[in-house]
Amino acid sequence: MGVEEDSQRAKPLIRMGEMATGVDGDVLRTLLGSCVGVALYDRRKKIGGLAHIVLPRSRRADDPPGKCADRAIPALIAMLERDADGAIKLSAKLAGGAKMLSSSKTADIGEQNQRACEQLLRELRIPILAQDCGGNQGRRMSFDLSTGSVTISIVGRGDIDL
Amino acid sequence: MKEPALDPMQLSRLEVALHRGSANASEQLAKWLDRPVVIELDALRLSPIAEATEMLTAGDDPICYCSMQMQGPIGGQMILAFDDSSGRELADLALAQPAGTTADWSELAMSAVLETTNIVCCAYLNALSDQFRRPNQNMSLVPSPPEFHRDYAQSLMQFALMDQALEFDLVILAETTFTIEEKPVRWNLLFVPDASSLLRLGQWLGKRDTGVTDANSDEC
Repeated sequence: MGVEEDSQRAKPLIRMGEMATGVDGDVLRTLLGSCVGVALYDRRKKIGGLAHIVLPRSRRADDPPGKCADRAIPALIAMLERDADGAIKLSAKLAGGAKMLSSSKTADIGEQNQRACEQLLRELRIPILAQDCGGNQGRRMSFDLSTGSVTISIVGRGDIDL
Repeated sequence: MKEPALDPMQLSRLEVALHRGSANASEQLAKWLDRPVVIELDALRLSPIAEATEMLTAGDDPICYCSMQMQGPIGGQMILAFDDSSGRELADLALAQPAGTTADWSELAMSAVLETTNIVCCAYLNALSDQFRRPNQNMSLVPSPPEFHRDYAQSLMQFALMDQALEFDLVILAETTFTIEEKPVRWNLLFVPDASSLLRLGQWLGKRDTGVTDANSDEC
């Protein structure tokens, strides 16, 4: 294990419809297909959170809070406010929203997820600093809370830093 | 929580139909590879989508897969998934060449596994089509040409299961295992029907909880 890895704490993969927050030194990771990963970060306090969003809008009251964009993003902000114990100033980075199987009936769900996240973040006045969405391949998203950088890995291609 | 698409009785009847699909696919694959092959239904899973996406691997290693879309009365995806070394092993068998000959994913190697996918999936779908044959209804299941991909397993599973996830809290997928000349190989064949097909299958498999089968479905 290298020096860089020693100083970082990689947390377990965030699964579909789940969210996690962390502090300076943590690395939050998830794997995305048509789902969208929303990384929120407070640069000054070095805290952040990652939501693995499955669908654009909730259909039922008992949907898990992290599953759909309309409830996941406010819930993640609430978690970060609680962790920060005070006012926070967030920025966002997005990834995912792929269309992986060309003939699938749900081919456009990734784009719908992306648009729903963009719209909600705009309404909440959270700037989107960078995003890597669409295409036809899955993504591994790693969110380093020391720097706020997001690294996207796509099989067969080099890593992208957002 | 929303009720699953199929109740335990319907799942059990679907399992019988899938066993017949596996038997037919075994026979066809044995002919193609010219050696004994057994494809067995390992599990018909009813699980939350987050768990189902970890079925192929819980980690973030990439896998290879060939996918075919099913069209007709039963829609969805059939997917043959394997890690790199198991896939190359399959290519060597299909190309009748010594083990270890295929070193990378050349056009020829990809073509060999795509053709294998085509044979296995079509055999499976033909058996299912026969199982669910209805009077005065075209039961032909038409598969799309297979596509080869290399990607993260969990990303693939998210996408394949998305249609079910839109409608249900618990998703259903069938997982099969392969044995070639009595040696298990790490290939997985996944049958992932879409949400509307699950509801249709439910009708064909008999009424919920009553144990009464729909007309013509008593052979299932």
